[in-house]
Amino acid sequence: MKGRPGASPWTLFAFAVPSLVLLVLLNLYPVIYAAYQSLRDGSLISAGDFVGIENYVDVLADPEFWASARFTVIFTVVGVFGSWVVGLALAILLKTRIPGKTLFRVLLLLPWVVPVVVSATAWNWLVATPQSPFPVLAQSLGLGNVLFLANPLLAQITVCVFKVWISFPFMMMMMAAALESVDNNVYEASRVDGASRWKTLTNITLPMISRSTYISWILMTIFCVNDFTTIFLLTGGGPVNATQSLVVLAYNTVFLNFDTGPGVAVAFLMTLVLIIISVVLFRQIRKVQIL
Amino acid sequence: MTTAAISSEPGVQPRVGTPTRPKPEPGSRGSWWRFLAILVITLVVLIPIIAVVGLALQPALGSTSTSRFTLENFVTIFRATDVLTWLRNSLTVTLVTVVVSVVVAAPAGYVLSRGRGRLISGFSLVLFVIQSLPVVTAVIPLFILFAAFGLVDTLTGIMIIYVGSTMSVAIWMMAAYYDSIPVSLEEAAWMDGCSVFGGFLKVVLRNSLPGILSTAIFSFLLAWNDYLVALVFLRSNTNFVLPVGLQSFFQQNATNWGLVMAVAVMMMLPPVILFATLNKYFSVGGIGGSLAGS
Repeated sequence: MKGRPGASPWTLFAFAVPSLVLLVLLNLYPVIYAAYQSLRDGSLISAGDFVGIENYVDVLADPEFWASARFTVIFTVVGVFGSWVVGLALAILLKTRIPGKTLFRVLLLLPWVVPVVVSATAWNWLVATPQSPFPVLAQSLGLGNVLFLANPLLAQITVCVFKVWISFPFMMMMMAAALESVDNNVYEASRVDGASRWKTLTNITLPMISRSTYISWILMTIFCVNDFTTIFLLTGGGPVNATQSLVVLAYNTVFLNFDTGPGVAVAFLMTLVLIIISVVLFRQIRKVQIL
Repeated sequence: MTTAAISSEPGVQPRVGTPTRPKPEPGSRGSWWRFLAILVITLVVLIPIIAVVGLALQPALGSTSTSRFTLENFVTIFRATDVLTWLRNSLTVTLVTVVVSVVVAAPAGYVLSRGRGRLISGFSLVLFVIQSLPVVTAVIPLFILFAAFGLVDTLTGIMIIYVGSTMSVAIWMMAAYYDSIPVSLEEAAWMDGCSVFGGFLKVVLRNSLPGILSTAIFSFLLAWNDYLVALVFLRSNTNFVLPVGLQSFFQQNATNWGLVMAVAVMMMLPPVILFATLNKYFSVGGIGGSLAGS
């Protein structure tokens, strides 16, 4: 950028003041206060005594924390890669010549646009009770009485599939934007060289969109780890805590058991891991850029 | 408007002709297979949404209506439930959030786009970290703070939180858009005696309609779709917004799916219409691009 006579740092600072005030009050203050609260044994209504890192020690010693951490990892890995694979495949498909593809693109975005509360209600109708269409279909296929949300493993699978369903449109948009920037002549050249479709994908397309791919993985990781609503609305963390992720555990600890300290401790431990993952992936992006 | 303003600049190449499209595959048979594939995939993906609409239009339980589709579920929810109050609450909360978010984020994004140096990098890093923090963490201290100010169970309370949670991404999105507007445009305005703020308003902001729209759509979706904040902060039926209203209604009326789905349809219509009409303005690429550039 060139030198700009008009815009001194102080003028620019004035532009940022309203947002800074809001960021400090609504984002920074809560974090600092929550950090302080995680060192006390209070509840939402009473401040409690200072107990140091006791909450963190208790949380780390609790098997429920580790079970939730394990499910969070499964949920995140399936959510990120599932939605990425589906989103990328559809973005590639929609890049080719298909009649009515603008309409398909808008229709395929719907799972992401429709409010989560609505889709969770729809999925509940589809799978929750023995009279729902999917269990009835499974019954008629001779699979017996399939309880999608009452069996721990099936509930985990259902929640993960729901997450992929809800997230793939975002990936599709990210990947479509990335594919836009790939020069078509490169494909032309590889076709002339007689490269297979798979070779073209792994040797040309994926390296050329790797930057966007890493960014979309980071964003989706953040979305998955922090996702409270999809899990809470579908299963509430059940059956027998099988689908309880760390955010749901934090929520339940604070708002159902009224244990503010341990709940916030869970949220902070989770955030710490999240930031480490983001930073590692972020560095990875920079590396790719140099290559 | 944007393209005209940008291409009138010397040194900036105006876009000529149509954007490059993928070369058509030889033969039309391939395209028919792909059409069929995408049609099947789309139908499977949309099953839950089709179910919502279908059930909402079904005749009510014990109805005398003979037609296959009717609007009586909608008539019932408007007459006999609080759904209109929830709708009004949702609209108020969402519109205020959108306006405040854009008004605050627009100048802040300018700082991120045009400023440089340590402070700006720090600002951008803070925004990134804030974006990674789970809402649950922020909700607890805000609950205690809001209780002290009497903001629990008020629409004002959740509006304030929504503005706070849109802020970091909204600033990024605006900054990403400003990056595509040449600095020389506002420099020319300063030469003509415009103040920095005047140049920002008259030159930069006037050319940023797509950026403003995508930021507005983003905050619309966030405020309209949120469940967690509304669940924690709203207590009384008359203060509910649609997501918590639907959820409470669903628990009471799970057997009467027609009514539940009628509320669901009402809730998904505004974002769907918004997206169908404005989706060309919404590029998620902008979010990612600004993240990588910071």
